Amino acid sequence: MDLSEYYGRRVLIDQPEWRRAKPAPPIEVLPTMTRHGQMIRCLRCGQETACRVAALPNDEFYCPRCINLGRVATLNKFYHVPEPNQFTVTSPVLTWTGQLSPLQEEAATTVDAGMTAHRHQLLWAVTGAGKTEMMFRGIAHALARGERLAVASPRVDVCLELYPRLQAAFQNTSLVLLHGRQELPYHYAQLTVCTTHQLLRFYHAFDNLIIDEVDAFPFAANDALLFASRQAVKKAGGCLYLTATPGPALLRQVRRGHLAVSYLPLRYHGHLLPRIHLHLAPGWRRGLQRGHLPASLLSQLRRSLDNGYRFLLFVPHVADLAVVGPILQTALPRHPFTTVHAADPDRLTKVQGMRDGKYDFLVTTTILERGVTFPEIDVFVLGADEPVFSSSALVQIAGRAGRSLSRPTGTVGFWIAGQCRRVRSAVRQVNFMNRKGRALKR
Amino acid sequence: MNCLLCNARLPVRLNLGDLLMLRPLERPVICEQCRAGFDRINPDHACPGCGRPQEHPHLCCECEQWQHQYGWHLNHQALYTYNDAMKEYMQRYKFLGDYRLRQVFTVELQQRIRQLQADLVVPIPVTTTTMATRGFNQVLGLIGDATVAPLLRHRAVDKTAQSHKSRRQRLQTPQPFILSDSAVVHGKRILLVDDIYTTGRTLYHAAILFKKAQCSEIVSLSVAR
Ligand SMILES: [Zn+2]
Ligand SMILES: [Zn+2]
Ligand SMILES: [Zn+2]
Repeated sequence: MDLSEYYGRRVLIDQPEWRRAKPAPPIEVLPTMTRHGQMIRCLRCGQETACRVAALPNDEFYCPRCINLGRVATLNKFYHVPEPNQFTVTSPVLTWTGQLSPLQEEAATTVDAGMTAHRHQLLWAVTGAGKTEMMFRGIAHALARGERLAVASPRVDVCLELYPRLQAAFQNTSLVLLHGRQELPYHYAQLTVCTTHQLLRFYHAFDNLIIDEVDAFPFAANDALLFASRQAVKKAGGCLYLTATPGPALLRQVRRGHLAVSYLPLRYHGHLLPRIHLHLAPGWRRGLQRGHLPASLLSQLRRSLDNGYRFLLFVPHVADLAVVGPILQTALPRHPFTTVHAADPDRLTKVQGMRDGKYDFLVTTTILERGVTFPEIDVFVLGADEPVFSSSALVQIAGRAGRSLSRPTGTVGFWIAGQCRRVRSAVRQVNFMNRKGRALKR
Repeated sequence: MNCLLCNARLPVRLNLGDLLMLRPLERPVICEQCRAGFDRINPDHACPGCGRPQEHPHLCCECEQWQHQYGWHLNHQALYTYNDAMKEYMQRYKFLGDYRLRQVFTVELQQRIRQLQADLVVPIPVTTTTMATRGFNQVLGLIGDATVAPLLRHRAVDKTAQSHKSRRQRLQTPQPFILSDSAVVHGKRILLVDDIYTTGRTLYHAAILFKKAQCSEIVSLSVAR
């Protein structure tokens, strides 16, 4: 194996191999698990498992928690070489030539300063603010200093979308993309784009780590993410969290002063987020069973269409689509539309159909792909108070409206059976950012 | 407790009978839905030689070939077909090494072992390299706490695992096993147990050793076929 594959990583080695070849420095041979009484702790994912559950024959143990990354067992050792930062920097580092708005400019400067000082910081930017471009300057300066960097996200689709953009922006830098869906061969690179799960393979590798969409499924409110990032970053390294909807775990870090926070409350076109309008409809589910939608919802849908605006209508469950679809067919007979859900085999075609203007509206259960934006639309949610909609999902959904410069506003309405914490939190987050935005515009 | 395969919550079903009998509960370890993904073989509609599912009760072509080569054939049974769910299961259990999954078929396997009424239940062994890497013999794991006679061991370190070989290569493999005690085998009814029956090569190699040691009868069993 090429020595560089061990740089800043902990590579799992099978027993026959580590027993056969005693590796020489700089390779360090590290243990994989430690036992504490009746519990066994995995040193890759940091999680503990009862010995009874994690037992193999002959008093050996394995970690069932992170087994999808390849099994960690007491039979294995880690090979590790401390990160040597062996990179040649070729100018120009930044090959992106776009322009930042004055507000983005300010945020980019903050990010750059934080990365230079290896600070732990949170950039709370509204949906559609143009976060990616704001990281470019900070990344460029860090790369020029010879630092090793990673941009990680809990979501594979975010990584897949970021990778080509970063490749284009840093054409003279070595990049690698790592995620669980396909097993591409690993190679040592100055800039790593990966899922947060893949961070567990690294050990004190990065001088700066950027985590995008921190609060996205499946890591939301999970200590595993904090553990993974702490392991992957060098002891004196920095960490930048980017999000449109910071969850309670991050906000707690901010309150305790562990995390510096900066805000980007305006969208790239300089406008506020559309306000969320709440409509109380206590009996909507019973009504739906009898074949009708709340009258206030129907009249709102008609109003949008009469004004020439298309819309997205979100419902809580896939089963609801089959009920809401026929009702709308009868109520809005002249308007072509379709229903779509996450596991729909025709999802891509339907989304493309909406983009092409084939439909006046979509009824859907999911936020659809990131980066899928329809200009000039309104956004409505039926049953926004149902548990399937987390507060961060609601903020993301509301953020689908007002994305384009041609119509930077839009109507956002939530129909709810009753008040709940998630809806209140989403409304509060939007209002909070708008207050900050208004203060900037003054 | 959650399903070992999909992590869905398993319902706790307790009936009065269980409580009154005070017998140890045979708790399911996987959910109904995962269970339904596996395709059970009815022994009455299977080849008597290799256990593959088929309508008629005659030897299939492959078993005819074994019959032709050795003048005898195995009497093999398999619990399930090697369908996508089984492939995925074996991938996770054997190759990823998730030892917890050994419990998924234990109850059924032990039941069939009892039905086959053998004097000696002999698991197919793994190589020392596999043992040092995987940390367990997948067959022993599947069998659980039933009594076994581990009479077979591997001759030497095998460099390529069977699963990396083509069918042709597999059929040409030389005898990999040593029978450690032929005296105890004499006149006994032997049951060989493996995880998967693929070409039959492995089990025929094992069976040859027991025939030479003059066992009275030999049958074999696998989880998948
Ligand atoms: Zn682990
Ligand atoms: Zn299941
Ligand atoms: Zn057959």
